[in-house]
Amino acid sequence: MHWGWMRRGVAVAEPVLQVRALCIEWRGADGRTNRVVDGVSFDLAPGATLGIAGESGSGKSTLARALLGHCRPGSAITSGSIRLDGENLASLSEPELARRRGRVMAMVPQNPLASLTFHMPVGRQLEEVLRLRAGLSAKAAGLRALELFGQMGLPEPERLVRRYPHQLSGGQRQRVVLACAIACDPALLVLDEPTTALDKTTEAQVLDLIRRLRMARQGAMVIVTHDLNVVADICDQVLVMQHGRIIEQGAVGTVFSAPREAYTRGLLGAALRVEEASRATHAAPGPTLLEVKGLSFRYARPSLLRRNPLGPPILDGVGLSLARGEVLGVIGESGSGKTTLGGIIAGLLGGEATAVRFDGRPLPGLAAQRTREQRRRIQMVFQDPLSSLNPRRRVGDAVMRPLQLFRGLERREAARCAASLFEELGLEAALLSRFPRQLSGGQQQRVAIARAFAAEPDLLICDEITSALDASVQAQLLDHLAMMQRRQGTAMLLITHDLAVVWRMAPRVLVMQGGRILEAGATEAIFRNPQNPYTAALLGAASRAARAGQGVLAGTGDKKPL
Amino acid sequence: MIALILRRGALSLVTLFLLASFIFFATEVLPGDALDVSLSADEIANMPAEVMARRKAELGLDRPILERYWGFLGGLLRFDLGRTIITRAPVGEIIAMPLRNSVALAGVTLLLALPVALAIAMAAAQAKGRAVDNAVSGAAIIGYSIPEFVTGLLLIAVFAVWWPLFPATITASTNDPLGVLLAAAPLAIATTIIGSVAYLGRILRVGLIEVMAADFVERLHLSGIPRWRIIWLHALPAAMIPGLSAAALYAASLVSGVVVVEMVFAYPGIGAELVRAVTRREVHVVQAIALAAAICVVLFNLLADLGIAALDPRTRR
Amino acid sequence: MRAALRRPAALLGGLLVVVHLVVAIAAPWIAPFAPTSLLDAPLEPPGATYWLGTDDLGRDAFSRLLWGGRVAMLVAFAAGAVAVLGGALLGLAAAYRRGGFDDVVMRLVEMKLAVPTILFVAIFVTGFGQSVPVLIVAVGIIQMMGVVRTSRAAGIVLMEQGYVRAAQLNGESGLIIILRELLPNVADLLAVEFALRASSALLLVSALSFLGLGISPPTPDWGLMVEDGMALLESEPALVLAPALCISTLVLGMNLAAEGLADALGLDAARGGGG
Repeated sequence: MHWGWMRRGVAVAEPVLQVRALCIEWRGADGRTNRVVDGVSFDLAPGATLGIAGESGSGKSTLARALLGHCRPGSAITSGSIRLDGENLASLSEPELARRRGRVMAMVPQNPLASLTFHMPVGRQLEEVLRLRAGLSAKAAGLRALELFGQMGLPEPERLVRRYPHQLSGGQRQRVVLACAIACDPALLVLDEPTTALDKTTEAQVLDLIRRLRMARQGAMVIVTHDLNVVADICDQVLVMQHGRIIEQGAVGTVFSAPREAYTRGLLGAALRVEEASRATHAAPGPTLLEVKGLSFRYARPSLLRRNPLGPPILDGVGLSLARGEVLGVIGESGSGKTTLGGIIAGLLGGEATAVRFDGRPLPGLAAQRTREQRRRIQMVFQDPLSSLNPRRRVGDAVMRPLQLFRGLERREAARCAASLFEELGLEAALLSRFPRQLSGGQQQRVAIARAFAAEPDLLICDEITSALDASVQAQLLDHLAMMQRRQGTAMLLITHDLAVVWRMAPRVLVMQGGRILEAGATEAIFRNPQNPYTAALLGAASRAARAGQGVLAGTGDKKPL
Repeated sequence: MIALILRRGALSLVTLFLLASFIFFATEVLPGDALDVSLSADEIANMPAEVMARRKAELGLDRPILERYWGFLGGLLRFDLGRTIITRAPVGEIIAMPLRNSVALAGVTLLLALPVALAIAMAAAQAKGRAVDNAVSGAAIIGYSIPEFVTGLLLIAVFAVWWPLFPATITASTNDPLGVLLAAAPLAIATTIIGSVAYLGRILRVGLIEVMAADFVERLHLSGIPRWRIIWLHALPAAMIPGLSAAALYAASLVSGVVVVEMVFAYPGIGAELVRAVTRREVHVVQAIALAAAICVVLFNLLADLGIAALDPRTRR
Repeated sequence: MRAALRRPAALLGGLLVVVHLVVAIAAPWIAPFAPTSLLDAPLEPPGATYWLGTDDLGRDAFSRLLWGGRVAMLVAFAAGAVAVLGGALLGLAAAYRRGGFDDVVMRLVEMKLAVPTILFVAIFVTGFGQSVPVLIVAVGIIQMMGVVRTSRAAGIVLMEQGYVRAAQLNGESGLIIILRELLPNVADLLAVEFALRASSALLLVSALSFLGLGISPPTPDWGLMVEDGMALLESEPALVLAPALCISTLVLGMNLAAEGLADALGLDAARGGGG
């Protein structure tokens, strides 16, 4: 019934994969259906690599699983076809699919740690695939497993095969699931978010491996990701999804240089473009507000004997200074210690009392030990907007509480004040009586910002405040934040892994890795000409999509942006 | 692994020490001493003061509380559980055989209930949301809601009264060999098993359903690994972990159940001793039974923890 | 609540509980005879006058059946309330304070897990005598430890939430944080816990009464009635089976209601309950 489509899908080589008008629906417990993949069609030639991009909830992972003929319980293919080597996977029976899975089509799942059986050594898990799917004998499988581990760049395969998944690093686990997937050299390899759980250095290595695999193999590859940089790096075609539909598709260079849809532009906008001038404005240097010198921090490890042996250092001799009204960016990946730094200054963790000075005086470690005035003057906005508001209280309460607590306002006055704060942040005053769940993510985060500014702080610590938001909402939120910051003259510590946020907001930046500060200085200078190789890696990873959009093809060796 | 055993063992000892202290203070300090507790209010009112003082001195109750507490703890370390107030018989001798019989009943129950519960849970998890699963879930919640003494009575009514296959109560005596005793108690064993299967099956089913939805099961499924292999080699060991935790938590409930079932069937275990001791207010016997039961439960918990460590490499550090 | 009632099993459970509650409350008005009056007709078979017959002392079994849930339910619900209130505060305080206080609380919980419930009550009853207040306190403390465990676990998760941190940074006191920020967010959990704890308490109380360690005669009580009638199972089965049925349906109703509630609220009753 889909022959009409076939004729239209003309390609140079006979396509290995043809998806036609595919629809997948979820049926909820209440009987309502939700179409998560809606009329998706595309072709893929052997040896080609397709990137499926979109934000979470766009249906891209559901589509990825469907390419192996699999729908999670509760969902089903309602119409359309998936032809792999001419066979429609949507009409095959489960045993017929099982015979092809692993051999003809294979999947590299999203979360390698959870996707490996935790109670089995990784070597045995690969051998299982080799014996059962590639038909090797036990002995041959053992040898082949070592060989594959070696090809995947895993160190000391002989020792590694006996390890359990939790004993491996994130990059090693990713390599193990990759090895399992390519064990039978499938015609179609689907990779679901292959780099999400990895740090930038490891991500680069894994992408390199995937690129080499792509060259070495005949089969086609589909890479599902929310990260356009990954698409720019290894894919030749891209398909952008939103709400289950394809909104844009084509060659990577074309789509990235001239995105037709606002959504795609939004996704691309999140990528850093250092060629444009930073919009962050330098404030006139005021007197020093915050000074941190030689700050180190370790978590006490819980122990039976309660002698509290210390864990590894999270922060190691960190120093910084921040003037009144200044915005300072702190960048680094998860594990770099940047969130710990923010937590200590905010008073959540209780670091050394002598290392931090606020307004010329030493700042006690925990908020409870600080004076009420110090607590008022230092406020914080958290990463997850929903969890930063009490779900059982109206959002107005959250904003009114600091007004009552610090400024001693009467309830009615506090309500009026809260309403005007809401207005300044572009929120309707009617939202004050709503519960957090009734607000969108962007609105929730603006409420959290209103709560922080209600205390009229001198220092605001923002911890990854945009990372849970959609690209389009991020820009709006940052504009509001910048406006409030200028109006109140608040100094800001902007902690983020997103370089574009720093580029936009902070004239000065610190780069952190492994609990140390690697580099510090003016944002434009560091981003245009990083001195530290790690900073360069961070920047390189962030700007590939932007470069691909300029027609500079990925992997052509241009190390420095611009 | 050895460090883990030592750590868990040390924690168990702390728990037992706290428990012994709690038992001592709850029975011999807060309500009055052992003699006050064992006598009724009338008896205390009518007893001449010097008689009272003499009896207290006999029992060593005239010493200060801390001294008695140390004496109590020291006695425990020497396995000296004291003597009864009325007959002055050594407590250890009174409870030894009944304890053996009760442990045997509980042990047989667990040995039989775990595999049965697992089989039922697997059948239910396989058919999640379908008739089999609903029937199993329904039966489990009913089984879990009916008190053991009612289950026991129903079994007696059906299999001993209306359809006399088994004796209603047990005729074997305390010192009979375990084999004779257990053979005489099929209905009692069945009763404890029914309750255990309902409880364990319920939790194992949830654990299995959770594991079957895990990412690693999906990866194996998408690699074309056969379903029986996924279930037996990958999912089942993973599901056994919450199962063992549940069994560990259940051990204490099992002892409670055993006490009740023993009373229903006149099984010669600690149940009868306990009831006799509480009604006669024999403080030292109640203390000994509570401690013995707690030691059994703590030991079982230790075993379950080690089982979990064997199944889950992440817990071995 | 409404979502819970849409499930047939939960609806049945709620109905069973309501019927038992209504009967227990109305017993003094609807029972044909006083539950303790000796009617000079021992072991009458069931008939028009004595619907379920009379027991060996000549008391009307049907009247005693209507009365028989009152004290047990009182103890169960009171113990459930003690358990949920005390357990939530203790558990949340442990989650808030952590450190040494948390260690002590957790040792207490573990201690309770090591002592079989019936023995725990036996210790109390031996020490403090056999009375309804002692039962409520003993059973309440036992059930409380389970609530401590679940609400502490929930509290630890909540302590990581931004709104709790924001309150801490603003210098709010521990009591305010526990009452304002934590408690409202475990309300769902506590509703389910109450149902589970009360049903578990009822099971325990009737088992204790059956053993002769719980509610003491001549108070009419199902557990006691089963124990009294055991010897007469062959000749007068109604004397035993009727109270047995009452206990079972009430506990079943409470468990079904708890499960339905947990299901509707997206909680896991099988994990939280038991023990």
